[in-house]
Amino acid sequence: MLKLFETETLALDKLTDEQTAIKVKDFSVWLNNSLVLNKINMRIPKNKITAMIGQSGCGKSTLLSSFNRMNELNQKYAFSGEVQIDGRDIYNTKENVAKLRTGVGMVFQRPNPFPMSIYENVCFGLRIQGKTERRMLDDIVETSLRNAALWDEVKGRLFDSALLLSGGQQQRLVIARALALKPEILLLDEPTSALDPLTTLHIEELINQLKKTTTVVIVTHNMQQAARVSDYSVFLHQGELIEYSDSDSLFTMPAKKQTEDYITGRYG
Amino acid sequence: MRKFNAMEKQTISSFASGLSAAILLIALISLVFFIVLKGSAYFWPSQVFKVTTYDKASNEVSVFVPSSVDIDEFTAALTNKLNEQFASSKQPIPLIAVEKVDAIYQINLHSGAIQHGNFQQINTPNSEIYQLAELNDVVASVAVFQRELREIQTTYLTVLHRKIAQLNQSGVSEKAPARLKELEQFTYWQQKADALSKKIAAYRLIFIDASGQPIDILVKDINHLFQPNMMSLFDKVSYSGNKIIEFISESPKQASTSGGVFPALFGTVLMVLLMAVIVAPFGAMAAIYLHEYAPNNMTTSVIRICVSNMAGVPSVVYGVFGLGFFVYTLGGSIDSLFYSDSLPSPTFGSPGLFWAALTMALLTLPVVIVSTEEGLRRVPEGLRAGSYALGATKMETIWKTVLPVASPGIMTGVILAIARAAGEVAPLILVGAVKFAPSLPVDGEFPFLHLERQFMHLGVFIYDGAFHNQTNTQGSSMMFASCMLLLLIVFILNLFAIIVRNRLRDRYVRI
Ligand SMILES: Nc1ncnc2c1ncn2[C@@H]1O[C@H](COP(=O)(O)OP(=O)(O)O)[C@@H](O)[C@H]1O
Ligand SMILES: [Mg+2]
Repeated sequence: MLKLFETETLALDKLTDEQTAIKVKDFSVWLNNSLVLNKINMRIPKNKITAMIGQSGCGKSTLLSSFNRMNELNQKYAFSGEVQIDGRDIYNTKENVAKLRTGVGMVFQRPNPFPMSIYENVCFGLRIQGKTERRMLDDIVETSLRNAALWDEVKGRLFDSALLLSGGQQQRLVIARALALKPEILLLDEPTSALDPLTTLHIEELINQLKKTTTVVIVTHNMQQAARVSDYSVFLHQGELIEYSDSDSLFTMPAKKQTEDYITGRYG
Repeated sequence: MRKFNAMEKQTISSFASGLSAAILLIALISLVFFIVLKGSAYFWPSQVFKVTTYDKASNEVSVFVPSSVDIDEFTAALTNKLNEQFASSKQPIPLIAVEKVDAIYQINLHSGAIQHGNFQQINTPNSEIYQLAELNDVVASVAVFQRELREIQTTYLTVLHRKIAQLNQSGVSEKAPARLKELEQFTYWQQKADALSKKIAAYRLIFIDASGQPIDILVKDINHLFQPNMMSLFDKVSYSGNKIIEFISESPKQASTSGGVFPALFGTVLMVLLMAVIVAPFGAMAAIYLHEYAPNNMTTSVIRICVSNMAGVPSVVYGVFGLGFFVYTLGGSIDSLFYSDSLPSPTFGSPGLFWAALTMALLTLPVVIVSTEEGLRRVPEGLRAGSYALGATKMETIWKTVLPVASPGIMTGVILAIARAAGEVAPLILVGAVKFAPSLPVDGEFPFLHLERQFMHLGVFIYDGAFHNQTNTQGSSMMFASCMLLLLIVFILNLFAIIVRNRLRDRYVRI
C-alpha cells in the first residue's frame, strides 16, 4: 500500500511512559444505559499519528472524546476505567476540565466556526485564558493560520465574518483555532468527511506537518486516508478494540479476520 | 354528498387559504384607512357654514358650524338629522338656510378654544380703533408689554416677595425700616405690573357672531387667526403641518379635545422602553436557565407549561397584581424604608411609571422567554461543542457563543412585548397611567427621571377620549388622531426592533 510519509515505527507493546501520550486502561463507557465502549486498553504514542477506523456507530467518536472529556456533555453518561495523559488520570475528581481541553484540542466532523471574524475565531481560546495583548494575539493568529495552511487565503480579510468562508476553509480555520492554543494532543473526528479531495489532501499534509510537535489522533471512515496519513491504526468493532498496530501491518497483513473483512470492504 | 378527488381538494384548500388571507388583509387595510381618514380630519382645516334655523319661539337664529365635508353633503346630512328629529311632531323642519360665508374668520385661542365670526374692529387702550391690517403691529406691542410684565414679575416681585417672607419668618417687627423699604418697593412694582396688565387687557379684537352679537377677545389670547373658507390648498397643507407639529409637541387643551398629546406620547414611549430594558435581561436569563441549566425533567416541563399559560392570563389580572403587590406592598416598603420623612403621603407607594413598566414587563415576560428559548434551540450543538473544546466553561460558552446566536430570538420577543405593552390600557390604569398628569416623568430637576410619577399613555388617553367625546366631533377626531399616532408609534418601535434583529441575524447566524 502506498505510503506518503515514512517515519520510524515503535513497537506498540514496548512503549515506555515517555513515549506514550495517552494511556487508556480498562476504559468502558455507557451512553443512555447501553454499553458503547467495552474495556478498551491502548497506549497512543507521542508525536505520532494514530488513526481510528471502524464501522459507524462502533464507538470511535466516543473513544476520541474520552480523551478531552467532551463525552460528559452527553446527558446520560457513565464510565469506568482510566485515561492517563502525562501520567495523570484525567478523570480524577480534581481535574480542571477547561484547562485539560486547552492542552487536548479537538476538531469536529462538521466545521463549526463561531459567528465572529476570522481573527476572533482564532483568538477565542486565548481570550478565554484572558490574553489580550494585541501584538501577541496578532503573532499567534498568523502562525496558527499559516500552520493550518489558510494564511494566504485569508490574510487580507482577517476581520470578515468566518461564516463567509468555504467549507474547506472553515475546517482549516477550526484547526487553526485549535492550534492557537498549542495543544500537545489534537483529536480530529472525521475532519475531511465533508470536504472535496483537494482540500482533503491539503488537510492531510497539514496533519503530517503537525506531527513534529503534536500527537494526532484521527477518526476516519476512509481506509486510504488512514493508510496514507497514519503511523498507527486501531480497528474498533461494536465497542471492542479488535486490532491495534502500526498502519503498515494493519493494512497489509491484518492479524484478525474481522479487520481483514472490514478493510477489504466485506462490510462497513 | 359527492366526494372530492385529491386534485380538487387541493384547489379548494388553496382557494380557502387565499380567501382568508385576502379577508385578513382587507380587514387590516380598512381598519388603518378608517382610522387615518377619521384622524386626519383633526389636522385638516374645516370649512365654516352659516346655518340659519328657527328657535322654539320661531325667531330666526344663526350659528357658524365648522365641517370637514362640502356644503351639499353637509346640508343633506343636516336635513336628514332634522327630519328624523321632527318626524313625529307636526312642526315643519325649522331649517332655513345653509350658506358659506367667505369672509368668516376662525380664531384659535391659546387655550385651545375656537371662535368664528366676522371682523369688526380692534380696540386699544387709548381708545383708538384699528383695522385688521394693523393687527400684526398690535400683536407685536402686546407681546412687548407681556415680556415687560413677565420681567417685572420674575426679577422684582417674586424676589421681593421671598425677601419679605424671610423677614416674616425670622420675626422682624412690622415696622422695621428694612421691612418697610422692601414693602415700599414691592408696592411700587406691583402697581407697575397692574398698570401693564390693564393695558394688555385693553387690547381687544371684536368679532360679530352669526346672530349679530359681538364676541370680545383679548389680543394676548390669540394663537392663530385665519379665514378657513378662503384658504388655498397650500394654505391648508401648511395649516395641517402646523397642526401636526402642535399635536405631537403640545399638551392637551380644552379637556382633551384640542391641542396636542405630547405628554401621552412621551409617557408611552418612555414606559415601553423602560419595560423593554427590564424584560429583555430577565426574560433572557429565565430562558437561559430553562434551556441550558435546568435538568430535563418533569419540574422543568411544568415550569415551561406555566410560562406559556402566563401569556394567556388576562392583562387586567396583571394590573391588579401590580397594584396589590408592586404598588402597595413593594412601594409601601420602599416608602417606609427610604422616604419615611414624607409619609403618610406616598412616594413609591402609589401608582407610577416604574410600577407600570414593571407590571408590563411581567405581562410580557412569557413572550420574551418563549421566543428566547426558541432562539436558543436554534443554536447549533456544534457551536457549543467547539467552544467547550477550546477550554471555555459553561458560562463563557453561553455568554460568548450561545447568546449572540440566540440574540435575534430575544429581539423577536422584545418586538412582540413592545407591541403588546404600547397597546395595553386596562393594567396601566391600575398602576400609574392617568388621563392627565400635571408634569412629565422627565424634567430638569434631580434625579431627572422621576420613576414614581404618574404618567400619561396614548392608549389610556384614547380610552378616556372614547368615553367622553362620543358626541363632540372635534374631540372624537382628536381621539382618532391619537389612534393614528399610537399605530404609528407601535409601527416605528417595531420597525426599529426588526432592524436591530436583522442586523444581529446578519452578524451571528449562518447565511
Ligand atoms: N448521546 C447518545 N446517547 C445514546 N447513545 C449514543 C449517543 N451518542 C452515541 N450513541 C451511541 O453510541 C454508539 C457509538 O457512537 P459513536 O461513538 O458516535 O460512533 P462512531 O463515531 O464510531 O460512528 C452508537 O451506537 C450510538 O448509537
Ligand atoms: Mg463519529
